[in-house]
Amino acid sequence: MIKSIKIAIAEPSVVISRGLSTILKKIHGFHTDIFEISDFEALKKVSISQIPDILLINPTFLFVQGIQNFKKQYINNKTKFIALQTSLFSSFIIREFDEVITIFDDEEKIKQTITDLFELPDREQEINALSQREKEVVSEVVKGLTNKQIADKLYLSVHTVTTHRRNIAAKLQIHSTAGLTIYAISNKLI
Amino acid sequence: MTTYRPIDKMSLLTTSHYKMLLVMARFGISLGFGDKTIDEVCIENGVDTNTFLAVVDLILDRDEKNDFSNRQISVNELVCYLQNSHSFFLGFRFKTIRTELEKIMNNDNNELSKAVLHYFDEYVLEVKKHMEYEEKMLFPYIRQLLDNKPDSNYNVNIFAKQHSQVEKRLNEFKSLIIKYYPIKSSNELNSVLFDIFACEEDLASHNAIEDRLLVPLVRNLEGTVVKRWEH
Repeated sequence: MIKSIKIAIAEPSVVISRGLSTILKKIHGFHTDIFEISDFEALKKVSISQIPDILLINPTFLFVQGIQNFKKQYINNKTKFIALQTSLFSSFIIREFDEVITIFDDEEKIKQTITDLFELPDREQEINALSQREKEVVSEVVKGLTNKQIADKLYLSVHTVTTHRRNIAAKLQIHSTAGLTIYAISNKLI
Repeated sequence: MTTYRPIDKMSLLTTSHYKMLLVMARFGISLGFGDKTIDEVCIENGVDTNTFLAVVDLILDRDEKNDFSNRQISVNELVCYLQNSHSFFLGFRFKTIRTELEKIMNNDNNELSKAVLHYFDEYVLEVKKHMEYEEKMLFPYIRQLLDNKPDSNYNVNIFAKQHSQVEKRLNEFKSLIIKYYPIKSSNELNSVLFDIFACEEDLASHNAIEDRLLVPLVRNLEGTVVKRWEH
């Protein structure tokens, strides 16, 4: 499954941010959506409107407002907060971040830092994406049964069926019955 | 952002970016303009140069940080552009993709190919609803605003809130075919996949024009018209 991640790079130097975004775009297994930000106003705007998965930020950006203050106001819990170190910062600043990337890290190191944050599933897991139960749910969905009907037929609670459907959608990245039908026929589930 | 200027040659723009051919068609600009500048060609075709350039710049670089709030855009021409763009998708683009798909799928004519066509038809219906809503609610509302007759039951925020990204499901469709439609590599299939990629990109631009050019513009307009009414 290919994941799509939003990365915001807040760095006043366009040379540095453009370089980083070139490296980040080359990470395999991700579609990356990159926002380069060079001023504080844009940072606030992107943080709120895009809710990036990763905010890679030069800590100097936050010295005016204060790091903790900024995080409280603008950063969603699910956003990974990474310091982009262009010079030395004291450890009490750095510990506010989930990770650190320095401008002297090599390409591999940078990619590793990012992928470690997201624990990409290995390829074996991807192939056997659906469990047996999930496959059964798919074939009933495709037949046009409602969640209630599926629950009755498979002796599950409606809640469990909903959970299965959510997991199926996440694993296959298919969000419609018409799409599941294609999947089910191709994989001989019906 | 590098932007094009009115004094740049139209031919330079169009030959550097093939997507501009679609933009020209939607503004009703004919080809064969020789070495004339963008401004000259626009004037000749009765198109507002600033509106044309705003659309061009947004399509060429959809980066969020590009700011279009200072552009002088004609609401009326932008709405015409969007309407032409709707007719292009519904009256031409989806139809050609459907025909191409049909050709490939009919050769197979099995459950899977039927499911693929069904998916596509369902998708087109969804886009059609999306666009018809704009044609029936949003555009008439904007025209009323332009005529100084604001409709108090509607505003552009209602539209902005529910405006969905219709290209997302096309992306899903494309990967469904690639992942689950077992077919020996065929020129016809590749050709339709290329068309779907292009269409997806085109729809994303179309939505960006609505969200980033049209919506702020109408919000401004609402401000001035309502003010005028209060005086």
